[in-house]
Amino acid sequence: MIGDAVHRLIYGDQGEIVIKVPLASCTIAAGALELYRMLGKTVEKLNLNVKIRRAGCMGMCFLDPWIEIAERGRPPAIYGNVRLENLEEIITSYLDGDLSGAYAIRFRVGDRDYGAPPLDSIPNWRNQVRFVSRNCGLVDPESIEDYIMTGGYRGLMNALRMGREEVIDIVKKSGLRGRGGAGFPTWLKWRIAYEEKASVKFVVCNGDEGDPGAFMNRLLAESDPHRVVEGLVIAGYAVGASKGFIFVRAEKPLMADRLEKAVEQAREHGFLGENILGTSFSFDVEVCRSAGAFVCGEETALIAALEGRARPRQRPPYPATHGLWGNPTVVNNVETLAHVATIFQVGVEEFTRYGTEKSKGTKMFCVTGAVRETGVYEVPIGTTIRKLVYEIAGGPREGRVVKAVQVGGPSGGCIPADLFNLELDYESLQAHGAIMGSGGLVVIDDSSCMVSVAKFFTDFTLAESCGKCAPCRIGMKIMNDILSRIASGDGVESDIGVLRELGAAISRTSLCALGGTAPNPVLSTLRYFEDEYREHIVNKRCPAKSCPKLVTYVIDEDLCRGCGICIKSCPTSAIDGAPGKVYTIDRTRCIKCGACLAVCPFGAVRKV
Amino acid sequence: MVKVHVNGVEVDVPPGSYIIDAVEEAGFKVPLLCYLQGVFSEATCRICVVKLNGRVVPACRYPVQEGASIVTHDEELISLRRLNLELLLAIHTISCWNCSVKGSCTLVSLAKEMLIEGIPVCSECPLYGELCLLSYRIPCLGPLTIAGCNAECTKLGAPCTGCRGFILSKGVWREALKHYKMRNVDVESLLSAIRVFWNNLPEDLSKLIKEVSPSNGQQPEV
Repeated sequence: MIGDAVHRLIYGDQGEIVIKVPLASCTIAAGALELYRMLGKTVEKLNLNVKIRRAGCMGMCFLDPWIEIAERGRPPAIYGNVRLENLEEIITSYLDGDLSGAYAIRFRVGDRDYGAPPLDSIPNWRNQVRFVSRNCGLVDPESIEDYIMTGGYRGLMNALRMGREEVIDIVKKSGLRGRGGAGFPTWLKWRIAYEEKASVKFVVCNGDEGDPGAFMNRLLAESDPHRVVEGLVIAGYAVGASKGFIFVRAEKPLMADRLEKAVEQAREHGFLGENILGTSFSFDVEVCRSAGAFVCGEETALIAALEGRARPRQRPPYPATHGLWGNPTVVNNVETLAHVATIFQVGVEEFTRYGTEKSKGTKMFCVTGAVRETGVYEVPIGTTIRKLVYEIAGGPREGRVVKAVQVGGPSGGCIPADLFNLELDYESLQAHGAIMGSGGLVVIDDSSCMVSVAKFFTDFTLAESCGKCAPCRIGMKIMNDILSRIASGDGVESDIGVLRELGAAISRTSLCALGGTAPNPVLSTLRYFEDEYREHIVNKRCPAKSCPKLVTYVIDEDLCRGCGICIKSCPTSAIDGAPGKVYTIDRTRCIKCGACLAVCPFGAVRKV
Repeated sequence: MVKVHVNGVEVDVPPGSYIIDAVEEAGFKVPLLCYLQGVFSEATCRICVVKLNGRVVPACRYPVQEGASIVTHDEELISLRRLNLELLLAIHTISCWNCSVKGSCTLVSLAKEMLIEGIPVCSECPLYGELCLLSYRIPCLGPLTIAGCNAECTKLGAPCTGCRGFILSKGVWREALKHYKMRNVDVESLLSAIRVFWNNLPEDLSKLIKEVSPSNGQQPEV
């Protein structure tokens, strides 16, 4: 059942054709802005009464840039991977009633077959539960009217009618846990800050999101910023705070701009400022652009960053009692706050319908890496990894086999393919050496080497370590050195033991969660892929043929036809031979860049 | 007052105290490095770790709770402390010769206490106001030997013979050989002194010695 408001958002006014173009960082990078500008000219040329609307991103990265065309009487059609030159053709064929070029139609209109499948018949969409991302790709992120039309700020109105304790009780009833990583119960954090006797309290929204391979917060805040603001105001009301901060990474300018605009609009409409909605509650929000550091995932570091410099401190005291400038402070993730707003809009029961016994609701996962359909997918907590990777994200690329997934970014761990029946929730992931983290899920196929994967993440944590405590600062450097040694074939047997011992010591004694979880990628790959490490150390061989020092490039005599294309691609002139004869690679000159392998039309170049 | 147990001993400390206060009250000692009471307490070195109800926490910066049970020494804690100290030493150039406090620092004393084999005898020699025997061209093995004996023999003018064992670190070797070279110590007599306790000289060390051997062209036989 499609609500009236949504209907109006999709079709616009009577007699109008609505074309939606997603304008978020990801789609703009794929060319949506050019599309948006070009659309105006195309429409003028075709002489149509078209309303071009801005929208957020649906989270289907593999479709970018997409557009949605809707005319009353016809199903709205979503076209994926649109190119400038196809634009005119797409619009005219849609108006002619031929929808076969579309990726999908949003819903059916009448019984006619339009040649494109409805969205809810596509496994990618059907298996999702779009609870918090319901508005993504639907509303104009820069318009508060759109948000209000879909039920926005009704959550705040509901919350303001209740007492503070009642608001906290509802969050407790929902069982919502922090979506930023650790999964701490949101209500408990609120209650501690609420019970603290202090004249000034703060709430902070953490929008720093530093994990490589995670971008659900950016997507959410760019596509539906008001939901985050609304959640923050509810949090502020519940703990009795007077001011809220939204901490956004300066590398995500669009996200900060949209949030700033949302805050401004909310202020104009009386959802922020003095005496909100006629109550005695006054609250204001400020958007802070940070220099951005992975360590800001740690609450104390984020608070220190707001004060001046991002460095964690020893807890306790916890921020809920002693936070920003010494005042009780609640730090919540973007997605957590969006969940809060949605819970108060649609009711707790809607939320608790999904999820497992211990963790309720849905979670957005960024599925990236070696899968067909990368994107941000919202699924109930407790969905199996298999379902997410194979059904929703479309499984591995042509001819490849999925080997593992890295869950939770640099703080998380690898889960091997034979454990894919594992349910994605906080406890079971932790038991298997990974963490939920912010929900980044990098799919690794058989062309990737697990030692390199581990090294990639230690490179990252090494660079992002604040350098305060000794185990993380020095220990991670030594782990990284050992991994580089193994990857270049100079590893020794004792390295595996040293990595294990050092990893355990770093996670046991580090000051903050960054150091405490930094060895996870190494420890989990060692746990499930020790064979691969041994292969590097003992036989000096990389099973995935990806460590440059351990592979050599050769040309297969039987397959080479002597075309000479490889010679032109070689940057170091390491290929000898003459046209028509078999070419050979001189190992002393070869720098293993792989250029010849990429260009050979006969597949004669091989890695050994 | 807050009641806590340190290694089974019950003590009362004022509320707001840190674990280190309770530990000292109970008469125990944990090694401290970056902590200076009332001046610096940022818990960065992670040497003073203790177990609070099974969790590893820094004693210097963790507030006590009523009924907490604290363990200051067990096998795991000792190895964790040792490992963290080794990490700190790994990025520390151990050249106490050139240091203004000449090895009379907490880092060196902790390393000796924990029997970490990275600090040479030479670091403790200057503490007793001894003249360096190397300046008399006596082949003293102090720069290559594990510290901890408090260098009694050098007091009597006898060179160190390496009875506590040799340091297995290339960085320390390089530093030591620099000093042998600077003081023009005879390579032959140095090698024969080394061979008393170290017959199978590591390949890397013999290579390094060859590099610093005096320019008389005489190749030391290793």
